[in-house]
Amino acid sequence: MDFKLDPADEAFRREVRAFLREHLPPDLAKRGASGFHPVRADQRRWQRTLYDRGWGAPNWPTQYGGTGWSHLRQFIFDEECALAGAPATDNGGLRMFAPVIYTYASDELKARLLPGILKGELYWGQGFSEPNAGSDLASLSARAIRDCDHYIVNGHKIWTTGAHTCDIIGLLVKTQPDAKQRGISFLCVEPGAAGITIRPIIDIGEAHSLNEVFFDNVRVPVSNLLGEENKGWTYAKAVLENERATSAEVPLNKRKLAQLRMIARQERSDGHRIIDLPGFAPRLAQLEVDLRALEWLTLRALTEKSEGTCLPYGSLLKVRGSELVQRIGELTIEALEQYGTYVYAEPGEDPDAKPVWPPGPDYAPGVTADFMYRRAATIYGGANEVQRSIIARSFLEL
Amino acid sequence: MDFRLTDEQEMLRDSARRFLEKECSLEQRRSAPTHGEFSGKRWTAFADMGWLAASLPEDCGGLGGDVVEAALIMEEFGRALVVDPFWGVGVLAAQTILAADREQARQLLPKLCAGELLPALAHHETQSRGVIEHVSLQARPAGKDAWTLHGHKTLVMGGNVANRFIVSARTAGGNRDRDGITLFMLDREAQGLKRQNVRLIDNRWAAELALDGVRVTSEHLLGEADQAYAALEHAHVHGLLTLCSEAVGVMERALWITRDYLRTRKQFGVTLNTFQALQHRMAEMLIELEVSRSVVYRAMAFLEMPSAERLAALSVTKARVGQSGRFICGQAIQLHGGIGVTEEYSIGHYFKRMTVIENELGSAQFHLEQLALRECAGPTPAVTAPHDSGAPT
Ligand SMILES: Cc1cc2nc3c(=O)[nH]c(=O)nc-3n(C[C@H](O)[C@H](O)[C@H](O)COP(=O)(O)OP(=O)(O)OC[C@H]3O[C@@H](n4cnc5c(N)ncnc54)[C@H](O)[C@@H]3O)c2cc1C
Repeated sequence: MDFKLDPADEAFRREVRAFLREHLPPDLAKRGASGFHPVRADQRRWQRTLYDRGWGAPNWPTQYGGTGWSHLRQFIFDEECALAGAPATDNGGLRMFAPVIYTYASDELKARLLPGILKGELYWGQGFSEPNAGSDLASLSARAIRDCDHYIVNGHKIWTTGAHTCDIIGLLVKTQPDAKQRGISFLCVEPGAAGITIRPIIDIGEAHSLNEVFFDNVRVPVSNLLGEENKGWTYAKAVLENERATSAEVPLNKRKLAQLRMIARQERSDGHRIIDLPGFAPRLAQLEVDLRALEWLTLRALTEKSEGTCLPYGSLLKVRGSELVQRIGELTIEALEQYGTYVYAEPGEDPDAKPVWPPGPDYAPGVTADFMYRRAATIYGGANEVQRSIIARSFLEL
Repeated sequence: MDFRLTDEQEMLRDSARRFLEKECSLEQRRSAPTHGEFSGKRWTAFADMGWLAASLPEDCGGLGGDVVEAALIMEEFGRALVVDPFWGVGVLAAQTILAADREQARQLLPKLCAGELLPALAHHETQSRGVIEHVSLQARPAGKDAWTLHGHKTLVMGGNVANRFIVSARTAGGNRDRDGITLFMLDREAQGLKRQNVRLIDNRWAAELALDGVRVTSEHLLGEADQAYAALEHAHVHGLLTLCSEAVGVMERALWITRDYLRTRKQFGVTLNTFQALQHRMAEMLIELEVSRSVVYRAMAFLEMPSAERLAALSVTKARVGQSGRFICGQAIQLHGGIGVTEEYSIGHYFKRMTVIENELGSAQFHLEQLALRECAGPTPAVTAPHDSGAPT
């Protein structure tokens, strides 16, 4: 065993840091750290910058234009980016879908899809969930019927994050209505195709990232089928595993805890810093304890992943990481007191928007919107109850 | 002890529930009040039903009830997530006036009960953090019986529609002295008073006030100069108790909405209520609800106690209610899945209301700290040395 970070990895961290200092524009960093949903234009701009540096796809192998970094380097990279306030890159495209594409898709589809993801020109939506297929995803009922060289798609998807600003949706459909998992196929569909209607869903942070997507006789070329027909469930499971791999969100949790520390030093009670109130610092310390434990659980998962893992790390990390982000949020809202209860409207997709906000310190806007949105952290990516069942069944054999 | 309501109280609760279900549904509150307008018609209805008068004495135009009546109404408000400024005007401001000066109360409160006078209490400041006696807004002497007011007030509940502001100001002493606080009654349009309306995440409205040399004289005084602390404490006691009572309504409704949802939502071919993990979660939620309701009752028993005792009792209540409320309303969302985090569905609004309650009049953490200070200050009990612990020799 060796518990220390390689000096080469430390040097790598410094290199990333230096790059961020030089290339991350302050306006992007400010919006990136705000807590509002990421602005698509910012994400595209930042992805292009990373691409130009050769860092467009930290998790891909070099043959597809990735960096070929170890899991540990990816982790260091993500952490530095988050702490600097860099806009979130396309988690869907880069981390969830791309690995499935380069593992299972035809060469033609790879060539069509991967370069766009790398350059920030092809953003992904995940069209899996339906009103009646949430935790029980396999019971989905959207249908695709083959018609010569097209599929005709009908159905109703829900909770599709970013459907209104994405370029392509990874869609799960039934191609064999009677078979459950074995009748599912995976199609890549452009959200602008005729017959698609997108309806926004506003979340309890009064912000827009979620959508309902209706498919009414939408024609999708057969060449947009990923892998083989009726094998979609295999690909979907891989996508979901990729989603959970990063679901501890250690970088995000670190940024949020750093923000909480800053706020607790700024906010005052009759001149005294909130952090000096007798009950506050112990709770902050508790969050630090839980963050560090989560961080090292993540490091173990990343290291063992390279060596073939046995623990259901994804589920362990998902449960703890999502609960932690909620708890950090709670204490941050408390620290902000009345500013935690004011509505600071989401600026929306226009990076130059100048929203009129109620009074409050600079760091207030976005905190509550994010706190509200993160109630979903224990729901999305497979609800925590379902993760616990996975742990109990698959590992503990209960 | 008797935890049953009187017949009159039961009637009040039932009629409030019926009225609010009909007139203040989530659908209805989405339109008008979300823009900060005031439903005069509904306020008049509150007045006509005697809600504004319910907890005020008869010589002030009230119906002679005590805090129980206001608490019952607030619990119903919690269930229905009513956004009208009943708490700000009908509890905080009304109780401040009542306790500040009985003679003035006899003049003012009948108009408040009739729904014509809408005062808001402008007491909270950004650095109060739950401390009742915190007042840094300065009243500077400006000639005989005259002052100018300088400073800020925030989270003035109902301040967007109030036609009077009861402003607490520092006439003597330091920011957190109990002596030296004075109340002034200002007109909404007073010179030098700037107001900014703010919508809160639970769709209620408050105001921030900036006072830049507002001139006041003894005619604006509410009660005696320098002596306002007692009235403010009285109003806070009523405010805290009714707020916690509202929270119980919020939690209870959130719990039952969730119960009903689990009985209808199907996944894996069965309704969600069949999963034991979810049954146990709901059982925990009910336990939290009922311990919270119990500490609200307990606080009622302490209302007439000396200041330190009743404040401690209210700290127990607010701390417990804050913790339970967060758990219940958070889990209510969780058990709904995705639909729970949407603005369109009701359950998220219960969580948001609880979040605001937690940040009003001191968080659970603040109240725990008050109790912790009491623990430290208490007398040292006689210690029995371990070796003579009563064991037979
Ligand atoms: C903010 C957000 C973003 C999302 N983004 C996307 C996206 O981009 N693309 C996409 O396809 N989907 C997305 N989702 C959907 C998400 O994957 C589902 O919400 C999730 O799978 C839960 O499904 P559900 O909402 O239908 O809840 P339900 O499945 O109805 O669950 C309700 C409750 O019951 C519990 N439960 C269910 N089954 C069991 C069981 N067997 N045992 C114990 N408890 C159980 C759940 O844990 C939950 O608490 C998103 C959701 C949210 C909230």
